[in-house]
Amino acid sequence: MLNILITGVGGQGTVLAAKVLAQAAQERGWQVRTAETIGMAQRGGSVVSHVRMGNDGEEVYAPLLAHASADLIIAFEPAEAARVLPYLAPAGSLVTARTAIQPVTAALSTDPYEGARMVAQLAEAFADRPDQLTIIDDERLLAAVGNRKALNIVLLASAVARGYLPLSVDDLRRAVAACVKPRFVELNDHAIDVALAAERSA
Amino acid sequence: MTKKLLMGNEAIAHAALEAGVRVVAGYPGTPSSEIVEMVAKERAAGRAEGVHVEWSTNEKAALELLGGASYAGARCLYTCKQMGLNVASDPLMCLNYVGVKGGLVLIVADDPGPISSQTEQDTRRFGSFSKVPVLDPSTPDQAFAMVKAAFELSERYRTPVIVRPTTRVDHASAFFDIADRTRARDLIDGGFVRDPSHWVIFPRRAYEAHGEINERLPQIARDYASDTVFAAFNPLYGPGLAPLSAPDAVAAQLGIVAGGISAAYTLEALRLVEARAAACGAKVPAYRFWQVGTPYPFPEDEAARFAQGLERVIVFEELDSVLEDALTLAAGRRHLAYDVLGKESGDTRDRGENDVDDIAARLVRFFGLEEALAADDGVAPVALPQDAQLPARPPVLCPGCPHRGSFYAIKRALGKTPAVLCGDIGCYTLGNAQPLDAVDTCLCMGAGITQAQGFSVVEPGRKVIAYVGDSTFFASGMTGIANAAYNGHDITVVVLDNATTAMTGAQPHPGTGVTLMGPKNEPISIEAVLAACNFKKIVHADPLDLDAAIAAAHEAIFYEGPSAVLFESPCIQLVRPQAPVEIDHELCTGCKRCITEIGCPGIGFDPAAPGPKSGKRGTAFVDASLCNGCGLCVDVCPFSVIVPAAEAAGAKSDAAKEGGAHA
Ligand code: SF4
Ligand code: SF4
Repeated sequence: MLNILITGVGGQGTVLAAKVLAQAAQERGWQVRTAETIGMAQRGGSVVSHVRMGNDGEEVYAPLLAHASADLIIAFEPAEAARVLPYLAPAGSLVTARTAIQPVTAALSTDPYEGARMVAQLAEAFADRPDQLTIIDDERLLAAVGNRKALNIVLLASAVARGYLPLSVDDLRRAVAACVKPRFVELNDHAIDVALAAERSA
Repeated sequence: MTKKLLMGNEAIAHAALEAGVRVVAGYPGTPSSEIVEMVAKERAAGRAEGVHVEWSTNEKAALELLGGASYAGARCLYTCKQMGLNVASDPLMCLNYVGVKGGLVLIVADDPGPISSQTEQDTRRFGSFSKVPVLDPSTPDQAFAMVKAAFELSERYRTPVIVRPTTRVDHASAFFDIADRTRARDLIDGGFVRDPSHWVIFPRRAYEAHGEINERLPQIARDYASDTVFAAFNPLYGPGLAPLSAPDAVAAQLGIVAGGISAAYTLEALRLVEARAAACGAKVPAYRFWQVGTPYPFPEDEAARFAQGLERVIVFEELDSVLEDALTLAAGRRHLAYDVLGKESGDTRDRGENDVDDIAARLVRFFGLEEALAADDGVAPVALPQDAQLPARPPVLCPGCPHRGSFYAIKRALGKTPAVLCGDIGCYTLGNAQPLDAVDTCLCMGAGITQAQGFSVVEPGRKVIAYVGDSTFFASGMTGIANAAYNGHDITVVVLDNATTAMTGAQPHPGTGVTLMGPKNEPISIEAVLAACNFKKIVHADPLDLDAAIAAAHEAIFYEGPSAVLFESPCIQLVRPQAPVEIDHELCTGCKRCITEIGCPGIGFDPAAPGPKSGKRGTAFVDASLCNGCGLCVDVCPFSVIVPAAEAAGAKSDAAKEGGAHA
């Protein structure tokens, strides 16, 4: 069983990322269930997608993960990564974007949220198992891609390149092509290339 | 056939189409809204032939319309969230007595948690109250199968049938094989067959019908066991999650029963506990697990067979103790010697959602394995440092939301005048948050207008405001409007008209005229409705034009008698945003008025960036990725340092907001 959690802030593309993974699993012939925890329609809240695949041929019963069971967490924002950390299995991995997104109420609050501090705290949490943490310089990679909306695909590609998922880059490309509108395929392929190049030079 | 990843709600829509549904109607409500939307999408794409689909004005209108179509022999699908059935309860209670002809299936989406509702009511109870059969899916796949079966059952017994998914089934996805094209089934008997002794409900007919209902319910309970389609909704499992053909295939003293999504959680939890036990060399006692997918009428014979030889039965279900009660009743009626553990006995969560972790922990206790499994501890979990603090992300009105201007204008117009501000259901409930703090009450759909009248009767010294959204106005506000005029209540109705049903994802409504069938009908004017209901003072304003908005609010609030302000400006999610505004760093005094008055997410404050006029305080800044350029803050800044952006900046922001992977 492969348990994956994808988390971010509304509008960052978690739902599409979950679809891409589900598609890839389906093409491998695995049973897959996903679930979105979507709240009210307004933007700016946390959005978590659960993806569960029976990669050993098992049946998947529930769509939501149990605590301490995620093999992989993909986070589009460091505080959102921290929020779902209790779901991570002790041997599971985290891929997170570095850029913090201020809560929309930040200006009203008296204690500020500092992204750099959050990233440092995540690093501290993984101090005894650094191989399980990947922090992506999303600013730089997305500048290279030329489009911030590609964040979800960049993170997926980084996770695949790191070997955190039993999927190949080709699996990912095929799944993306099946899930996005034809005119966005090229952009996403480019995003995958940028992520792979960054991983190679890391 | 095509394989597609579908959300539970989308799968429900496809199942109904494949079952030949001809008329689909509902009112939006999370977590049910995607069903009607999916049907409309399939119809618009030309893949669903012959189906009529609509958002009705409210749930009662939807169900009554479907009642008519069903009498004429059409298969009908109704959708709503759990509280929507309260609104449609009148037709539902009566329809069951009169009976239906074309299959009538109600999808009523419950919301344990609750995640986006005012109550945790349990529609399974509504089933027993109205004596209407209820099916309770644990997965999207089961929901798909149940919808098809529900149409058959409905026609077999001429009863409406409820299928009750919950949020985690509605919003979970799986792959489905779906038909490429569907066709609505023809009307039974070619159309409505007159028979006043049947279709007109009189007390005598109701008495007879009650007898028919009482006869068919036990038959349906038997079908749940004997008809293989329904029996598959009540599967039995033994140790190792092996499917059991009969309860006595396993000699056990422990029984587990679950319904809805809790059944899926229980399967996962059992797998987890068995794996942990195996890892520790502990033995899980023999057990039987029974999922009840047909909670009403409760299949009591099956329950008795399941309970044969059991000493204790633990029940996992969300919302009410429906299965627990039914099992307790069965034990009493049949003198069976098992104890029932559940919500009532304090052995499971009494409210909110269940989850795999909680059920697993309770099963460990139920199996008496606490000690054996306590020692099992592998690697320590990954944990954040103690002092880590996570920022909260509460829902807030969008940047540029016109409601922000409306709330602010009302507060400014009232000044220090004592007032009660009655809210209602919609995005605008969020007007209660700081710093707007402009909503004092919120009860149920349309209640703001009528509750306001109660306040005005007993507190004549206070101004009473009733906010209502445009969709809510039509759904259940109009009765209250008539009441205000008829009984002469001095209230001010503030219509927050953003031209959509925003909170549930932007559905059209009578005030937009847009329909799911394509053609746009003439929009119904809220002003004309108010005028027809004898509202003598009706004023309009653009809520984003602050001075005009305050003046309009003032005029209506200080009018004696029922009055209304119509704040008209579209939901920001529907329109192309304007270029972001700019704050002149050189001139900003750091007074924070723009933040503390209206709290738009588009404005931040940087204490580390003092400007020439701000002293050490720091300055406000505009987050160009969030600001929609609505201009409200421009009017709020007392020093006029917030300015609409230049044309050039506009082009830049459009580019940033376009294109991409379309998340
Ligand atoms: S113009 Fe001002 S109030 Fe309007 S969205 Fe931008 S920052 Fe918010
Ligand atoms: S979705 Fe529309 S109505 Fe709701 S908060 Fe956003 S702008 Fe306002």
